[in-house]
Amino acid sequence: MKQSLHSTTLGNGITIVGERLPELESVAVAFHAPVGAIHDPSGKCGLATVTGEMCLRGAGSRDSRQLVEDLESAGVQLAQGVSSTHISVSGAMVARQLAEVLPIYADILRRPLLPADELPAARQMVLQNLAGIEDEPAHRTLAALRRLQSPAPWGMPTEGISAEVESIEIDDVREFVAQNLQPAGMIVSVAGRIEWDDFVRRVEALLGDWQAAPAPPVAKGPRGAATLHVTHDAQQTHVAVGWPAPPYRDDTSHEATAALAVLGGGPSSRFFTEIRERRALCYTVSAGYQTSRDFAHAVCYSGTSADRAQETLDVMLAEIARLPGTITRDEVDRVKARAKSGLIMQQESSAARANAFARQWYHLATLRTLAQELERYDRLDVAAIEAWLAANPPRDLTVVSLGREPLEVRHALPA
Amino acid sequence: MPFLHERLPNGLDVIAETSDAAVSTSIGFFVATGSRDESDDVSGVSHFLEHMVFKGTPGITGDEINHRFDAMGASANAFTSEEDTVYYASVLPEQQHEAVDLLGAMMRPALRGTDFDTEKLVILEEIRMYDDQPPFGADDRCRASYFGRHPLARSVLGSVESITDLPVEAMRDYHRRRYAPGTMVLAASGAVDFPALVESAKRLCGDWEPAAPAERRRPQPPRQAAHPGTERIVKATAALDYAVWMVAAPDEFHDDRHAARLLAILLGDSSGSRLYWGLVDSGEAEQAACLYQDFLDAGLFITQLSCDAADVETLRERIASIYAAAAAGGLEPAEFERARNKLASRVVLGGEKPRRRLFDIGLDWSHARTYRSVSDHLRLVEGVMLDDVHRVLQAWPLDAPAAAVIAGPDGEG
Repeated sequence: MKQSLHSTTLGNGITIVGERLPELESVAVAFHAPVGAIHDPSGKCGLATVTGEMCLRGAGSRDSRQLVEDLESAGVQLAQGVSSTHISVSGAMVARQLAEVLPIYADILRRPLLPADELPAARQMVLQNLAGIEDEPAHRTLAALRRLQSPAPWGMPTEGISAEVESIEIDDVREFVAQNLQPAGMIVSVAGRIEWDDFVRRVEALLGDWQAAPAPPVAKGPRGAATLHVTHDAQQTHVAVGWPAPPYRDDTSHEATAALAVLGGGPSSRFFTEIRERRALCYTVSAGYQTSRDFAHAVCYSGTSADRAQETLDVMLAEIARLPGTITRDEVDRVKARAKSGLIMQQESSAARANAFARQWYHLATLRTLAQELERYDRLDVAAIEAWLAANPPRDLTVVSLGREPLEVRHALPA
Repeated sequence: MPFLHERLPNGLDVIAETSDAAVSTSIGFFVATGSRDESDDVSGVSHFLEHMVFKGTPGITGDEINHRFDAMGASANAFTSEEDTVYYASVLPEQQHEAVDLLGAMMRPALRGTDFDTEKLVILEEIRMYDDQPPFGADDRCRASYFGRHPLARSVLGSVESITDLPVEAMRDYHRRRYAPGTMVLAASGAVDFPALVESAKRLCGDWEPAAPAERRRPQPPRQAAHPGTERIVKATAALDYAVWMVAAPDEFHDDRHAARLLAILLGDSSGSRLYWGLVDSGEAEQAACLYQDFLDAGLFITQLSCDAADVETLRERIASIYAAAAAGGLEPAEFERARNKLASRVVLGGEKPRRRLFDIGLDWSHARTYRSVSDHLRLVEGVMLDDVHRVLQAWPLDAPAAAVIAGPDGEG
């Protein structure tokens, strides 16, 4: 398949990556600024998130309302998000609108007004979101797992901590923007009906003269405890289990993600078969993979009635322990089929493609064609996955439960 | 995007919208049955049956179904609503034959007693999961209050009691009555080989016995809340209050349904709407939204509000005053244009995804035996004028007496 993948890096360190998908009417664009929750100062957890919200509350010549209304008039499906490492603003739209809206995105990044009178509302919005999360037991369980097994500050909640968000003042936001929101390492990703050269010219005209002042790297601190129980009075108990895995850029990340897919990646996976189909212990069960640039984790989750939670955890741990040495060719063939068809179907979504390119560039500093991605899956086999598992059996497990009663970690796994 | 249709002698409709640009094929069986077609003694059977369809046929085990879908790289699933049960798979085009074969076979499930007893526990877990998370059952309870004795009042999931008490024979009987070829549609979208699809349908479904179709649109649903007023669900551990209220809106066949959709976007979309600027932008509400939902013979404007429990009454009043101001003062041409552009953009972007098109064409055909292309949808949206939305505001007042439910940490209203 002929693909038109492109990348170019401007003098100030902004990399533009993208693909022309001429069959689509749409285009998706995303700006990923290399600043996120890991840059939150001590005692101000949530500052990046408040800042991301504040950047939309007026930029350039537009106030908060004008900004949103002009994007929506153009039919832009606007999104803004903050991760541990990035503040991102993105949009999907009918392709002809792109030229008109790019200057608005440039204003959001370079000329946010950060008006003092908008801060109480932005802060309150973040606090409302945090209160809403209190009512989402699955989200809380997975966030607790992430916080324990990631090195500080990568595990800190990107959404913030209520008591600390309340203390954020407008000068905190302005200082955070001045120090951290800058072009070096920023990724602009685009996919859909675009003319590449024209797109690069426009981005360069808007962002090319932005001076870079890279923020110093963030040091990694210690990780948290190996187990945690959060008391929560509800019918169901939620269980999350994780352990270290190689990051996406590592040569063996495909073997690792394939092993996790065998464990809990689809309806024929071992978790689904043993925990839901065979024992009917739960409605939801999964195993997946979460990667940062320098480290990654396996993440397993299930939610079940309080009186069946211990058995659910026992079976999860037993299946994790059973994985090395038992993977079959049929299982690997199914994992490959699912992964490959997912990659091919991504071609139908400009937003999915734009996300995939940004992710590749951030982790690998290169773009892989679809053919290269498929070829990596073709090479996967039982021997390669088993070799990786033999060298890297699941160990250093972190176990989190959220529910009425704590659970026992009964299965002996290598420490 | 050409549209193709063929009807088998037993009444099963086979339809497809083909696209040269697509790299995938989406296939689905659309069964015209849901919670509104149930009775008290089988409440939740449509959704439970949807699970059981994945547990195998006389010749195929449940494990084999899961293995075969994964082996073809399919993204396969199903959903059940008040009016529809839909089974679907998205695959690469070379897997069309295998995917249709499997889905077609699944439509005649074994419904084994042992599988039924096991899967019952999964359904009960699903009920508990929704019970434990926002809006803590407020949506189901509110629909029940609005529709009163009408079948649209029924919960899709059913209750712990109704599922626990359901015998497998009742499900077998329900399946015999409801999964007849005349009330099912086999639809496909994307890169579809239509002649092969029809051949597969004849081979797999040709011997399905026709059954007399049951009239679904009776009795006449209410045009106003059957039980107006506010009910409380106490969830001591909840951090926020979750309020939902419902008033009447146009049904699926009403000429004003697109205007109703636009009105809901203008007033209550998740960003840029009057509720957004009035409650969410300020951080006073976690969420404040107005949704339009249409059924075969009824429609609802649904307002959702989540906020601190201390603020719920104040903010409900503020929403009521936003609705009253819209009805009294009308809408600005500029905000109307924005809402219409937003909706048009959603239609175009959604139209690029074969899976999304499958649901659109399958449900349109199942409900109305009509086909609408993306361009047709776009024309309908672009044909809505400000006067149409004003007419909806007057004919379907948002400040009518509503059925309302608030779930939250205490019983004080």
